[in-house]
Amino acid sequence: MGGLTSTSKGLYNKGKIGMTFKLPPGLALQKVDERIMTLNVGPQHPGSGHMRLIVQIDGDYIVACDPDPGYVHRGEEKMAEYRNYILNIPHLERPVIHDSCNVLYPYVLGSEEILGIEVPERAKYVRVIASELNRCIYIMYWLAIYGIFLGHSTMFMWPAGDRELLIDLMEKMTGARVTHAHFVPGGVRNDLPPNFEDVCLRQVNYFEKRIKEYAAIFYDNPILIARTRDTGILSRQDAIRYGTTGSVLRASGVDYDLRVKEPYDVYEELDVHTNVMKEGDSYARSKIPWLDMLESCNIIRQALQKMPKSGSVRTKLKPNPKGKGLDSVYKRVESGRGSLGCYIVSDGKVEPYRVKLSVPSFRNLIALPNLLRGEKLGNMPSVYWSLNYWPVEADR
Amino acid sequence: MMSTETENPPEDSTEDSTEVESPPPVAKKPAAPVVIPAFEKSISDKIVEKFGDKVEVGFVKEDRVRINVGRENVHDVAEFIRDGLNYDHVESVSGVDYPQDNEIEVVYHIGSYDDSSLARQILVLATRAQRETNPIPGNDATRLPTLRDVFYSVEFHEREVFEMFGVFFEGHPDNRRLLLPEDWADLPPLRKDFTIKGR
Amino acid sequence: MSVIAPKFKLSEFIKSLLDNIFWIILLLVLVGFPAVFMILFVIPLPVIDGELLTPFLALTWLADPTRILPVVQAFMTTDIFRVMAFPGFGFAALLAAGTIFVERKMLAKLQLRVGPFYCGKFEGILQLMGDGLKLISKEIIIPAKADKPIFWAAPVLFVAAAAAFVAFIPVAPGWVVADVDLGLLGVFAVIGFFPIITILSAWSANSKFPFIGGIRALFQMVSFEIPLILSLLGVVMLTGSLNLSEIAASQSVFPWIVFLPVGAIVFFITMLAELERIPFDLPEAESEIVAGWLTELSGMMYGLVQLGTYLKLYAFAGLFVVLFLGGWNGPMVVPPFPAELLTTGITIGPITAGPFPGLPLFTQEMLNGTLMFVLKTGGVIFFILLPRGVFPRIRVDMLLNLGWTKLIGLAFVNIFIALGLLYAGVLGPGGLQ
Repeated sequence: MGGLTSTSKGLYNKGKIGMTFKLPPGLALQKVDERIMTLNVGPQHPGSGHMRLIVQIDGDYIVACDPDPGYVHRGEEKMAEYRNYILNIPHLERPVIHDSCNVLYPYVLGSEEILGIEVPERAKYVRVIASELNRCIYIMYWLAIYGIFLGHSTMFMWPAGDRELLIDLMEKMTGARVTHAHFVPGGVRNDLPPNFEDVCLRQVNYFEKRIKEYAAIFYDNPILIARTRDTGILSRQDAIRYGTTGSVLRASGVDYDLRVKEPYDVYEELDVHTNVMKEGDSYARSKIPWLDMLESCNIIRQALQKMPKSGSVRTKLKPNPKGKGLDSVYKRVESGRGSLGCYIVSDGKVEPYRVKLSVPSFRNLIALPNLLRGEKLGNMPSVYWSLNYWPVEADR
Repeated sequence: MMSTETENPPEDSTEDSTEVESPPPVAKKPAAPVVIPAFEKSISDKIVEKFGDKVEVGFVKEDRVRINVGRENVHDVAEFIRDGLNYDHVESVSGVDYPQDNEIEVVYHIGSYDDSSLARQILVLATRAQRETNPIPGNDATRLPTLRDVFYSVEFHEREVFEMFGVFFEGHPDNRRLLLPEDWADLPPLRKDFTIKGR
Repeated sequence: MSVIAPKFKLSEFIKSLLDNIFWIILLLVLVGFPAVFMILFVIPLPVIDGELLTPFLALTWLADPTRILPVVQAFMTTDIFRVMAFPGFGFAALLAAGTIFVERKMLAKLQLRVGPFYCGKFEGILQLMGDGLKLISKEIIIPAKADKPIFWAAPVLFVAAAAAFVAFIPVAPGWVVADVDLGLLGVFAVIGFFPIITILSAWSANSKFPFIGGIRALFQMVSFEIPLILSLLGVVMLTGSLNLSEIAASQSVFPWIVFLPVGAIVFFITMLAELERIPFDLPEAESEIVAGWLTELSGMMYGLVQLGTYLKLYAFAGLFVVLFLGGWNGPMVVPPFPAELLTTGITIGPITAGPFPGLPLFTQEMLNGTLMFVLKTGGVIFFILLPRGVFPRIRVDMLLNLGWTKLIGLAFVNIFIALGLLYAGVLGPGGLQ
């Protein structure tokens, strides 16, 4: 929080603020049972990501887990209140740079509704292609880390390498490898390069063939199955009650995919299949994203086929576009991790009055303490990462 | 679109500032040119029928229904939304600071997984808490009843709203910091009077 | 690349060269020569060709290099050579270094990447040396509340125990550091040290993750020692000896793995667990407990533990070869020593070198035995490394379940197979062997 200070009274009311000096259990000296050991897993821990899990273990069993996100909190929502609708684009994609198109998607949809812009048909297809490519890129990165969390170093290297195929495609499309800033209110930033469709089809076909090979070394691996089956079971009722989303929800048997249920842009013209598994354990949660990637390849092929071959990809905007007055929209898309919502409040000025990102990682995090309670310490990485959790996104 | 909006503009605070303390007796009807979707209208009608003048329909748009409610009734309305309307989870809890009204709005976006007819729908439940010019988070009048016992999924969201806006949720089992550092002793940072240096 | 020396002056460069030469000569005269003479005077010198080796004679190799051969031969019969160089530490460390290189390159090929590439001209062959230099130059950080003497001693003890293990492994006929009658029992005793050293290191670090890792290592090693010992009893029964050299020599016709495949499999799996290799690397499971019991070790302390680990790996692979794969036995592939080298010397074009009266340094059997042993050990090491590219890590409860129920059961099956073979008269006295 280096750049942020309050206007006048820093450290005001010191001593009176009740919550300030109530430390979380990892920091406060607590009287606990002598059998219980408190572990600070993270933020500088190879198995935590940019967050901290305060885990209390009794022998090899976890008795309590208190997630402590916020290590990479950047105040994206506060920053968004100081920039206009266009300037917000590059920084709002930072929470998940691997999924930068999807994390920007609801904001762009929302600001289009606020600014009253129509999007050309071709731009919608380009958006869908970019969004599905980004979903694959994100899931490959996630899968790589899932592999290394389980001690499977080949599963770390293979996805990290095969991801380059799609990153090259995105580079051709947007000019940037990871942080694209490609979606703008009114379409996409620029048109597809010449001959992109053929290259994309070829790469995606090869990519699909390649990820099918992962089943042999990873998903059908007996040790992996023995480790992740029946661990961290999230029942259907609990998945709904906790408000989880995305792969976590679908692994628990809830058939809910926003691309089908609330299709945005051109998803209703595409044939999208929702992958659902009933088990709700770590294995199902780790397999659903992989199936999603195969589905994404299908969607990309369909979109490439149905896309108008020419046409505009962007509606020109006036400089400093404003909303028409008081307005608020809540738009959501299905990102690589689940439903990602964006609540924008406009007061008719150049800047949005309030931008709130309701991110899937933050919503899935609530399941973590409940899933880890009673698990073995050795299951912690697999259960934690199977929640499709991206710490930077949850912190925003 | 804009005419259906009842959120308070920061400019004119006088008009709606009494909204929460004494909700208007009749729900505002959306303006004529906007076609009101029938299904969404039926949802809002059910709530109005149950609670009468305690609630106010903010807008009825395609897939989105907004209900404004005073803080003393928010818990009952939320229970009705869960039990009577089959909504089962909260997607997002957003705080919005309105210094002109001296109020902080807390907006719940409620959805449903189980009821396939509601899969597209988001019910926006908005309530307002009193705003303190000199806040002492947790120890001042900026309070709301928690919805955690109604919707379990608000647990972390409400913790976030508490630290970012200083809205204390009464009855929340775990009102601790979530994202901010433990030694944060400044204003809740998403309030409008917390300004970024140089902006 | 930046400029090597931005303010380069030839005069200063020459001066620095001269300085260096001056210091080298000074140190050599003041320290080097006295040290050489002290060593030559103090250690008992061998008798060569009926003549006591004096320092003068020892230094005559400067005039005639062939005269060093008898000295080398005499040195090779000493215990210090066996411990330090050939069947002992140096040989094992060389093989361990080769193992690390092969592991990196092989894993890289499995994972569709390149691996070490730039260090050294050929395929990054000097990468290990670079890593070693880096580890040596790093600062050693000791946790503030650590039990310092034990914490310091643990890595050294670890390497020492691994080297002691290496000492039992016979490489070629007669070439073993410690040729003891109860060699296998000695091996079990040395293996028993590793969990103690591990838990000492972990506990003395006074830190949570090493503690959990040490406890895990203790559980793992102790529970796998039982199937380890049981799986080797079949071989002992059939051979009737605990001497590793005799066990190796007894397999001149066929290796024991032909009759005891179950024991070999059980021993291989327990070996993976004892070595903390994937899929049994629980004590170092990085995503759960950072680096396990190695978390607080830094710099060369960590390097020592790694060295010990790979020495241990070589020793276990060697033990597997000696017990199940026939040790040094194998077809004779090394050509006999050319006798004309002793009499006439070797002639290459106009130059004639020799004759070399001190040769051969090693006998043909020894060279062939070593070759066979190294080939078999390399194969076993390859199979030890292979699971790392294929399997994820397993969990503690699965590991203990495997060790206490399945492997012990299989080890007993192996013992019954051995007993059956003995009583049926297939093997043992009156049988095939």
